Amino acid sequence: MRAEITYRLSDPYVDAAQKNSQRQLALTIAAVSQGNEGRVPLNLCLILDRSGSMGGEPLDNVRQAACRLVDALDCRDRLSVIAFDHRPTVVVPNQTVERPESIKEQIQGLRAAGGTCIDEGLRLGLEEWAKGKHQTIGQVFLLTDGENEHGSNERCLKFAQLAAEYNVTLHTLGFGDAWNQDVLEKIADAGGGTMVHIQYPDQAAEEFQWLLRRVQSVGLTDAHLELQMAPNARLAEFKPIAQVAPDTIELVTQTEGNRVRARLGDLMVGVERAVLVNFYIDATSSRVLPGSTPDRQVVGTVQVTYTDPQRPGATLASEGLAVEIQAIAEHRPQMDEEVQGRVLALAKYRQTQLAEAKLQQGDSAGAATLLQTAAKTALQMGDTNAATVLQSSATRLQTGTVLSDAERKQTRIASKTVLRSE
Amino acid sequence: MIVCPNCAHVNPAGALTCEACFSPLPQILHTNCPSCGAEVQPGARFCGSCGFDLQQESQPVQVSTEAATPEPSEEVPEPVATPLPDDETDLRSRAPARTQLQQISACLIHVQTETRIELPTSVQVIHIGKPNNLIPPDIDVSGFPDSDIVSRVHGDIRYEGDAFYFEDTGSSNGTYINNVPLPPGNRHRLRAGDRIALGKGDKVSFVFKMG
Repeated sequence: MRAEITYRLSDPYVDAAQKNSQRQLALTIAAVSQGNEGRVPLNLCLILDRSGSMGGEPLDNVRQAACRLVDALDCRDRLSVIAFDHRPTVVVPNQTVERPESIKEQIQGLRAAGGTCIDEGLRLGLEEWAKGKHQTIGQVFLLTDGENEHGSNERCLKFAQLAAEYNVTLHTLGFGDAWNQDVLEKIADAGGGTMVHIQYPDQAAEEFQWLLRRVQSVGLTDAHLELQMAPNARLAEFKPIAQVAPDTIELVTQTEGNRVRARLGDLMVGVERAVLVNFYIDATSSRVLPGSTPDRQVVGTVQVTYTDPQRPGATLASEGLAVEIQAIAEHRPQMDEEVQGRVLALAKYRQTQLAEAKLQQGDSAGAATLLQTAAKTALQMGDTNAATVLQSSATRLQTGTVLSDAERKQTRIASKTVLRSE
Repeated sequence: MIVCPNCAHVNPAGALTCEACFSPLPQILHTNCPSCGAEVQPGARFCGSCGFDLQQESQPVQVSTEAATPEPSEEVPEPVATPLPDDETDLRSRAPARTQLQQISACLIHVQTETRIELPTSVQVIHIGKPNNLIPPDIDVSGFPDSDIVSRVHGDIRYEGDAFYFEDTGSSNGTYINNVPLPPGNRHRLRAGDRIALGKGDKVSFVFKMG
């Protein structure tokens, strides 16, 4: 298994006489299998909310969904299940799935009661996960249906960052419409995972299976992107690096001069991660990187470091990739359509975020305008499902009503990812 | 420095798309006079420096202007979920040309006197200020109270695509859009309900209305 990077520029040419040209660099990173390698066992931890509000149909569906997940696991995979209300308990201790029937029995014993304290559930989940962390791919599914009323959201975020340090990926599943999309999004972003919305209880099994397929395709873990910009190039001042596929995430970066490092997390086979870098280049400068010629300039070099669960202990690195741009006289813009699509994906997310900020300030007219812009952006990128969601939210605000909890969630998810069609 | 007309983020010079919301930014394009090399404004007829007739050379100038200006987002098809207009308006909107005039009408309401000023869409630039012998104003505000804080050459309203933009053309006391100062040389895309205050203190203010 190895990591592969490819790049495209928003415009592969630059005016040789221009001191300051803005370009976007789209990087795609994926794990590529070499020959027939077996799948590395998963070490999956389910952290399930069983607070009083989950009683009845919701918890029935979650139990069923968890049992179907057990059926889909391999006997070498490890599983642990934590249930939490205002305090957490271990339902299934960390073990290999050799006796699925007894595990399912333990899951069926879940009963709903009590309040909600997400951070305690996370803490115990990580503890239980760590018992089988060697030579496995660590994944945590955190499911909740409400606000973290007995816990601290700050502490949740700390645990999510800790999870990233331990190299375990944290996915969040919001159940129903009363959960907090800001908190779950932050946890998933910091934990390198995906945020999933289970709007109706009967969708639980389907969403669990989808997420399981996603984590089963993980080939490499703990990937970091390292980017070195040329002396004549500089990154944009405002949030220059963001992940745009499969979900949009504002990446946390460590910057040292012209060197940037960002954590990407898992690399999957068949599902590529795309990262968009916004930068400016001075094509007239003589301070260039080695390997540049006057008409072919190296903008920067990119490398991905990662770990391979089949070869524990070693940090591996992809080959360095030189990003080149052609400097020409009499430049006419030639937009790269693929990169344009990536730019639109980020535009859709940012415009929706700005709309939500306006909404929080109480400016619902401004929010409606920005949501409408985001809907147009979604249409431009061919994401009609998102366009419908964003436009209906905009229309609702224009008519002077407020967005319902469900609409807020749908809006957030529509902005963050390309919606799967039903 | 370019202020994004969509989200008001302040972008560094050279930005083509906004760093915050990735909307295309308005480009202030300077072309060079083919005769003497001096910078000339787009659309100029003569070079201000040597008097060269730029209309002769208009072909290449125009091409580069078009190519470098990002497509306005208004070109996108109508949003999907807009409520369908009832039959009557539907028929009207299908009639060509005439509807164009009906659809896009905008005006300024002077807040202090509630005077309504229609904005013509037949011209690209509407100058706002007071009588002077350099650029005669299309909208003369000298009749309004407190007009002494407004500069003779104060600002322009530009009509491009389907949108109106306000720009301050170097006034002494500045322009405030929704109480936020508009830096000189930057344009603000006007939205219905925007409040434009000429000079400090919100003394000569207009509300922009569309439709």
